[in-house]
Amino acid sequence: MSKPLVHIQDLCVRYGAKTVLQDLAWTYERGTHWAIGGESGSGKTTLARALANQIPYQGSIELNLSSDKSPSVLYVPNWYQFTNLEGDRNFYYQQRYNTHQGRDTRTVAGELAHFAEQENQALAEALPLVQALGFEQQMDSQLIELSSGEHKKLQLVKALWSNPQLLIIDEPYTGLDKASRKSLNDCIDSLAEQGTQVILLTNDTNLPQCINAFAMVQAGQLQEVASPDDFIVAKPRQSRALPEFLKAAPEATSEQIIQLTNIHVRYGDKTVLEDISWTVNRGDKWVIQGANGSGKSTLLSLINGDHPQAYGLDIRLFGNQRGSGESIWDIKQKIGLISPEMHWYFDQTATVWHTVTSGFFDSIGLYTEASFQQKKQVDELLHFFDLYTVKSELLSTLPLGKQRLALLARTVIKNPPLLVLDEPCQGLDQTQTQYFNDVVDELCQHGKTLLYVGHYESQLPKSIDHRLVLEKGKIVKPQQKHILEERV
Amino acid sequence: MANYFNTLSLREQLTQLGQAEFLDASAFTDGVEALKGKKIVIVGAGAQGLNQGLNLRDSGLDVSYALRKEAIEQKRDSWKNATDNNFTVGTYEELIPSADLVINLTPDKQHTNVVNAVQPLMKEGATLSYSHGFNIVEEGLQVRKDLTVIMVAPKSPGSEVRAEFLRGFGVPTLIAVHPENDPQGKGWAEAKAYCVGTGGHKAGVLKSSFVAEVKSDLMGEQTILCGLLQTGSILSFDKMVEKGIDAGYASKLVQYGVEVITEALKHGGVSGMLDRLSNPAKVKAFELSEELKDIMRPLFEKHQDDIMSGEFSKTMMEDWANDDVNLLKWRAETGETAFEKTPAGDVQINEQEYFDNYTLMVAFVRAGVELAFEVMVEAGIKPESAYYESLHETPLIANTIARKKLFEMNRVISDTAEYGCYLFDQACKPLLTDFMRTVETDVVGKNFNDGKDGAVDNSKLVSINEKLRNHPVEVVGRELRKAMKAMKTIKTA
Repeated sequence: MSKPLVHIQDLCVRYGAKTVLQDLAWTYERGTHWAIGGESGSGKTTLARALANQIPYQGSIELNLSSDKSPSVLYVPNWYQFTNLEGDRNFYYQQRYNTHQGRDTRTVAGELAHFAEQENQALAEALPLVQALGFEQQMDSQLIELSSGEHKKLQLVKALWSNPQLLIIDEPYTGLDKASRKSLNDCIDSLAEQGTQVILLTNDTNLPQCINAFAMVQAGQLQEVASPDDFIVAKPRQSRALPEFLKAAPEATSEQIIQLTNIHVRYGDKTVLEDISWTVNRGDKWVIQGANGSGKSTLLSLINGDHPQAYGLDIRLFGNQRGSGESIWDIKQKIGLISPEMHWYFDQTATVWHTVTSGFFDSIGLYTEASFQQKKQVDELLHFFDLYTVKSELLSTLPLGKQRLALLARTVIKNPPLLVLDEPCQGLDQTQTQYFNDVVDELCQHGKTLLYVGHYESQLPKSIDHRLVLEKGKIVKPQQKHILEERV
Repeated sequence: MANYFNTLSLREQLTQLGQAEFLDASAFTDGVEALKGKKIVIVGAGAQGLNQGLNLRDSGLDVSYALRKEAIEQKRDSWKNATDNNFTVGTYEELIPSADLVINLTPDKQHTNVVNAVQPLMKEGATLSYSHGFNIVEEGLQVRKDLTVIMVAPKSPGSEVRAEFLRGFGVPTLIAVHPENDPQGKGWAEAKAYCVGTGGHKAGVLKSSFVAEVKSDLMGEQTILCGLLQTGSILSFDKMVEKGIDAGYASKLVQYGVEVITEALKHGGVSGMLDRLSNPAKVKAFELSEELKDIMRPLFEKHQDDIMSGEFSKTMMEDWANDDVNLLKWRAETGETAFEKTPAGDVQINEQEYFDNYTLMVAFVRAGVELAFEVMVEAGIKPESAYYESLHETPLIANTIARKKLFEMNRVISDTAEYGCYLFDQACKPLLTDFMRTVETDVVGKNFNDGKDGAVDNSKLVSINEKLRNHPVEVVGRELRKAMKAMKTIKTA
């Protein structure tokens, strides 16, 4: 009888005064593959990082892995990082839209070749994974040009390719479109067949077939459950009255909020958006859908004042022709924006309070002294989002769910007429997403216009009344809607 | 063309050198108004040209790019940079005649040619902007009397100018108006509006003069910024190898150490940098740097004297005229040093270790910053200007060394800075021969605190701290850094 693959006893992990895991015990038998759930902030990631020996802990973690196969344990974080060719990570979220001839980051092909060399892997083995995740057209793209979903895919390709003995993936489905989520599950199944043991940290219920054991982290301990339906994800939130300042109708703007006419966006020979004509009227609530890399974020960047090519295109925002003497700050003042890219490159030194307050000035980081009235509004909003008690903590140290709520608070603090929410619920569990979308619905009752990007059909705000679907940079005709819902 | 500075009376020289007024955001309430609706044409679309143009356009201004016909026909990088971002691009003949403001952002060396080509095309009463005053002050180029001549010089690489703007902030910027060319009295209003358009007004602005900018900029780059960092790096590496420290470790310590150490300088000045050391190491670094200051002071003074008299620029322009023979030779020599040729080892060095094992570099940086500052101020430059050109820029240059060592530093800085850097390095190394004989691995390569009990004499420590904190570069630095408080941290390897 062989020893269990993993045997954990009396595992305790503390961050400062806060105990995250307390006397956790777990026996992981060979031949099982696990999904581990639990609410945001319960300690799933901490457990995984302790297993991967990335953080200090007390207690014992016994790993019975073979010594002749490497790597032994691979932990794939929820967050990805990449550097430019000079080792810097000093990017800004709009950088993928600013074209400059200096090639600052590797291409996808170059990155894979580099990884192959570093990890002693055969490059040819990566190609089936790249194809399975629908990623092969991006081989010549620079890393900085990738969308958030495409970055996630690259990270997953590298992880699957490494073929470790124990593979731990933290929130594997973040930012992936529906087809890619299914392909990922197939890839994980085939890896499991070849002998890799798998742990997925997720509350998702559409899991690879190989997953045959379930547990959740709760109160610092691991509890086995029968199925992912038993994951307790979050306590239902107590609903609160919307702060008065958000009930005021936003300042009057034109009837047409956005008007795009025959828009093309190209980088060199690569066409990203093709012949887009689209009108959004005041009060419309749009969902924008499309596979990873279909051009959703680029489309939104034309509206947010984040894309240099917006000049010279026929774009009217809030009734004004783009490039007629307005500054990007004039535009941003009317828009509340949240996007995965903005979150990734957000100021690492910002507290929750700084984060929310910076929304008044549309800055990443706070460089302006807020007025008394503004500070009062921030406090009201922090109470509304249940963030008041953590207002002095660094945003980046909070659980992901709370970080997203703080960024949502940042988008609405100035009560803008237009909300642009690009995958705002990425990485949130179902209850959190439900709560988030309920808040969005409530905010939108008072005359706001909404653009919302989300991959999960069942997880959209109820107020959505229009749909735009992009495929390879083009708007798909509305009559094809029923076909496309399958794909997104 | 005659050196402009040398044509001035002593009184006028001192007036222009002494121009330095620090402006905070409240001095910019007119925003970009003075340039609203005006035609802005940028000459050059490299890193500064492109990124400043993107910022100005995003501030609501009308920006296009004038490039040489060949650059357009051959679709060179500058042409691609501008057209890929949907800017209007045209030849000088097409765009300059209608321009209200022409911004020259080409490399220093090309200034005379560019301005000679652009000037006859400019309309009466337009404005010409520089980001460096060498062409006006040292080469003595005289601009048509009806034109206004201004300077707006962001004190950061072009990529940072863009990144900080998009974050909603900016980079510290120097502005100036050439007193010989302000016929309508609109120079300051336009320089301020241009500065606002790049976001510079949020991070602190120095109102200076062409003369003060050139004389302090040349001094800073030759001595502390590039010259001393080069000398200190090479001597440190050679010493470690000589004493048997692993070459890969030595290479990494030197390549990244100067960036980590000067990051502390950026946030807390010279005293903040020395505060990162243990008390005994601080005493040692202080004593070493006092010694270094005594040894190097005459060399710093010679550089400042040659800059003031025009001797430096005369010698360098002779080399320009001689196809850069000296510059190219010295550049090749720098590429051949042992430090340059030894790759950084695959060893982990944590942040504090860079301080504990590299006390010597802390001493070099303190000596260089204080000396450059002192000598500039003695020569009539105001402390605010001297601060920018010594302490403020040191971390930016250190960052280029961390990227790809000295070769990269010399590639990124201007040819003028590079030329001066080699002159300094060649004179400084022999000057430090005796000093370096006394240096052991406890201050370079190994942890200074190993085997010591950490005791120091109270009164000695108090007196050292007082000297460090009350140095004029610290006094002015504390004020200026308040305005730059939101400076982001550079991430290290």
